[in-house]
Amino acid sequence: MRIALEAVGVRKVYPGPPPVVPVAGIDLCVAEGESVAVVGPSGSGKSTLLHLLAALDRPTAGTVRIDGIDVSGLPDAEVAGVRAHRLGIVFQQFHLIDSLTAVDNVATGLLYRGIRAARRRHLARTALDRVGLGHRERHRPTELSGGERQRVAIARAIVGEPAAVLADEPTGNLDSVAAAGLLDLLTGLHRDGATVLVVTHDAVVASTMHRQVEVRDGLIARDSGTGR
Amino acid sequence: MTAPPRSRLRPGDLLGVASVGLRTRRVRAALSALGVAIGIASIVSVLGIAASAQADLLAQIDRLGTNLLTVSDGQAVGGGPVPLPATAPAMVARIDGVAGVAPTAEIPTVYAYRNDLVPVTHTNGLSVRAADADLVPVLGATLASGHFLTGATGRYPVAVLGAHAASVLGRTGRIWVGGHWLTVVGVLDPLPLVPEIDRAVLVGFPAAGSLYGHDGHAGRIYVRTAVDDVATVAAALARTANPVNAVAASVSRPSDVLTARLAVARSGTGLFLGLGAVALLVGTVGIANVMVIGVLERRAEIGLRRALGARRGHIGAQFLGEAILLAFVGGTIGVGLGILITGIVAALHAWTLTIPAAAVWGGLAAAMVIGAVAGLYPAARAARLAPTDALRSP
Repeated sequence: MRIALEAVGVRKVYPGPPPVVPVAGIDLCVAEGESVAVVGPSGSGKSTLLHLLAALDRPTAGTVRIDGIDVSGLPDAEVAGVRAHRLGIVFQQFHLIDSLTAVDNVATGLLYRGIRAARRRHLARTALDRVGLGHRERHRPTELSGGERQRVAIARAIVGEPAAVLADEPTGNLDSVAAAGLLDLLTGLHRDGATVLVVTHDAVVASTMHRQVEVRDGLIARDSGTGR
Repeated sequence: MTAPPRSRLRPGDLLGVASVGLRTRRVRAALSALGVAIGIASIVSVLGIAASAQADLLAQIDRLGTNLLTVSDGQAVGGGPVPLPATAPAMVARIDGVAGVAPTAEIPTVYAYRNDLVPVTHTNGLSVRAADADLVPVLGATLASGHFLTGATGRYPVAVLGAHAASVLGRTGRIWVGGHWLTVVGVLDPLPLVPEIDRAVLVGFPAAGSLYGHDGHAGRIYVRTAVDDVATVAAALARTANPVNAVAASVSRPSDVLTARLAVARSGTGLFLGLGAVALLVGTVGIANVMVIGVLERRAEIGLRRALGARRGHIGAQFLGEAILLAFVGGTIGVGLGILITGIVAALHAWTLTIPAAAVWGGLAAAMVIGAVAGLYPAARAARLAPTDALRSP
């Protein structure tokens, strides 16, 4: 069994009086094809954990491996390469580029892999179809509803078929109908074989994932275990 | 362990990424490019106008020839005038390399008027000069109307007018000169090299003697030399014209006046170029300012791009590229504007439009250097931004 994401003894400390320790020592292993919800109250350190697993931040101590690559000691350029090729990230605020159409926003998911523009666009159309927005490809983010925007963001995350899709409160800015649609999409992706890790404080969202990891005060308080 | 995959941005994509900011914030981009456009436009137009003016002067000098010399009455050390001897024209004509000699004499205290009713004080700055038929070939003069003095008409009360004199006195009919009526028989075209002829009423030497009691001595002799002998003739001119008192004969080369104007035109551009450089500096600061604001506003986009796999270098290149692009757009507009301004000025002066290629390429290159300088700090700031900090901003 391949390991998509792995944290070994990971700590994150922000210095300065008093030092803040959002992640106090976490061991977590996410296998390929798993769907995991990281839950916990705000301030529990779950967002920092996601940043560490997404190689957007570096742990103060411990090791993070993404698709088998230890990113803790890599220089910036190589960590960027891991993000470009192995990860897809979805944000609560969508983070779409307003001047680009839906399909071009999705295509930026492949921009830093050095793939040709025509090929990027072709793959982006396929990804948009997969999230059910093929008919909206020429619309700009401002012309899309919140749920549609988040679908575009998910298409951007999966367009490169990454080792893992990481989502930070993906339903946080959506109404309940749009959120339900998005959860259907995420579970559908998982059913098709994608590795999905969702950080959320929403119990409904958490229950749609196969495995729940509860974080409290920077430590794992409960792990439902790898039940695929 | 697997080798880490590479993050890579194609050069063509960098251009697209660098232009995102310009495409989304067009008014701001246009305003910040304006500073550079004004600076480059002023530099290109200053260089273009100077080049056009110089080309015009050079063409004039070429047309009029640099091989025209004059020798005229000198000044004694103590003051008073030292007239050239009466033999001077004949002596000068014998110098090797002299192609033609035309003696003239300004007739003192005789002035020309449109008619006898004009008050005597209204001389209009015109002079009355005696000349002979050789003046036309030696000066290379052409007639706007009528004909020049000949050996025959030089005896009669007739006059040929310089271009400016004709515009004051009228081109035909009679004029009142020193108590006699003279008939105007011809008008010369303008002679930029010898403005004193433009402002002269020319009569024949015999008529000057019979009407005004002139003694026939030539106070100013025009000498046309072979093109290669200008220097040797000029060196021999004074002592040939006045062997007794060579230092008192004054020799000059009329084209030197135009050459001096050329130098003045060149020195004048320096100041304007300096002003253009100041405008460019202001433009640079403007672009740097807009870029710094852009980086602050686009923190979320920077974070997103980092999350999508951009390296620090890619972010830096994006913003540096944007600044260069901005300045390049400004520079292109500036070059176009500069050429337009030069064209208008050249048209007003009837000059041929001359734009130095160095001004165009130099302007564009300067704009890009300015963009790079202005973009360096904002790009470094953008590249240094930590992805997690950038993503936290809305």
